[in-house]
Amino acid sequence: MAENTALAKLRTMAERSGLSLSEEELSKLLPGINRSHSQIAELREFMTDRIEPAAIFVASRTETR
Amino acid sequence: MAPNELPYLSITEAADQLRRKAVSPVELVQACLNRIESIDDKLHSFITVTAELALEQAKTAEQEINSGTNRGPLHGIPIGLKDLYATKGIRTTCHSAVLQDWVPDQDATTVTKLRAAGTVLLGKLGMHEFAFGGPSIDAPFPAVRNPWNTAHIPGGSSSGSGAALAAGLCYGSLGSDTGGSIRAPSSHCGIVGIKPTYGRVSRCGLVPLSWSLDHAGPMARSVEDCALLLQAIAGYDASDPASIDLPVPDFSSDLKKGIKGLRIGVPRANWFTEKRGTEPETESVFNNALKTLADLGGIIVELDGQPFSIARKANQTLLVAEAYAYHEKRLQEAPEKFGTSVRNRILEGAFLSAADYITAQRARTVLNRQIHANFSRVDIFATPTVPRPPEVFESMDPDEQNLRPSFTNPFNLTGLPAISVPCGFTQSELPVGLQIVAQPFQETTAFRVAYTYEQATPWHKQRPVL
Repeated sequence: MAENTALAKLRTMAERSGLSLSEEELSKLLPGINRSHSQIAELREFMTDRIEPAAIFVASRTETR
Repeated sequence: MAPNELPYLSITEAADQLRRKAVSPVELVQACLNRIESIDDKLHSFITVTAELALEQAKTAEQEINSGTNRGPLHGIPIGLKDLYATKGIRTTCHSAVLQDWVPDQDATTVTKLRAAGTVLLGKLGMHEFAFGGPSIDAPFPAVRNPWNTAHIPGGSSSGSGAALAAGLCYGSLGSDTGGSIRAPSSHCGIVGIKPTYGRVSRCGLVPLSWSLDHAGPMARSVEDCALLLQAIAGYDASDPASIDLPVPDFSSDLKKGIKGLRIGVPRANWFTEKRGTEPETESVFNNALKTLADLGGIIVELDGQPFSIARKANQTLLVAEAYAYHEKRLQEAPEKFGTSVRNRILEGAFLSAADYITAQRARTVLNRQIHANFSRVDIFATPTVPRPPEVFESMDPDEQNLRPSFTNPFNLTGLPAISVPCGFTQSELPVGLQIVAQPFQETTAFRVAYTYEQATPWHKQRPVL
């Protein structure tokens, strides 16, 4: 049942992202996605409000490419 | 010199022979082309061999050398490039059907620099599709095999670079590294590869996997050769937003200074045993390498590995999120062009939220601080490069790597320079690598430790039987 709910959620998210994925494809993705989400949950455990993300924008820097 | 001795010369040796005119660039290229022709059907290390161009460039180098023009130690040296480096007029596929007909109209910055240094391009090398997801079994090009035993994987994603160097098919190569893709194939193929500090080498012209984790770097058969290659490609590039404008040191200057008194941190506790842990055979080879480093004057300091272990989780989140962002349009429009393995890994990024991504970037701030704090106690870190020997292709489990510690991921997250150098063999005669990690922009220290170890041991002199 939980897996069906998870698959239904994935289906909605995939459609929202413009992806055409079959039920079989979504089922194959589920373990990897669950692993990703549990990793992020672990990362949240040691977060405090004062921590900023490592991505930095430097206003003076412009790309020449 | 006999033609069959040429392919395994080091760059330094080949440069010396070229300077003395004991050998010509054309002879070096021809020796490589002959060897590619005779054995690469077993390895599949090359996707594209640019034989005509290589011979033309070699003739030009020969004329320049004969007329007294010296472009430095790489002048006339044949190299190969991982097939994600843009090469003007030469197909650049990323080992994928998605780009199998792409011919770039300009060179990557690093390719321009190598051309200016006088290198000769032998061709473009196989890889994991888009540098992700494991050996590509359903890509338009065959998966690369390990020269030490073709039943085994060569490691990836710069698999062609590792295999071609170990097999004596080229003298140097450039790989790329987002989670270990230079260091793992270096370890599995018994060669040397360095991921420089993030910002040291331009990524302009590399097909990205993950902008904030991608590094470009050299691979070769010796530490000294790697230092020469890095010298040619390092330096500020305004075309790369991550490039850092710092002076480039002489990477070979400290090679022979030894390691007496150097404090070597080993973050073993809470990391080496994570999940299925490190293979005992790999850890045993690594422990022998530590004994050698101690005999050479290094001081071994055991550290807590917990932040290193957690770093992998942040690294993987950032990687799949950024990879999905880059490939989103292609995955919406023509997902069937991707191989199954890489497509499924990248698609995981579609199911992460913006908050998930920011959480990983915030974790990066904390973990970077925690890992750097160790440098008050030690000068470098040492680990095995990969926690287990190269797997057999047929029984390979793509999820297995998630069940072992990753010794390479944390140094993409932190951007620290990390080199892999051969440190022994398993009982099945498969290579094992030692990883040395230095402080930011201290590649000279990484080279010094790796060179000191290399010169005290026989591993880098061994060759696969092909």
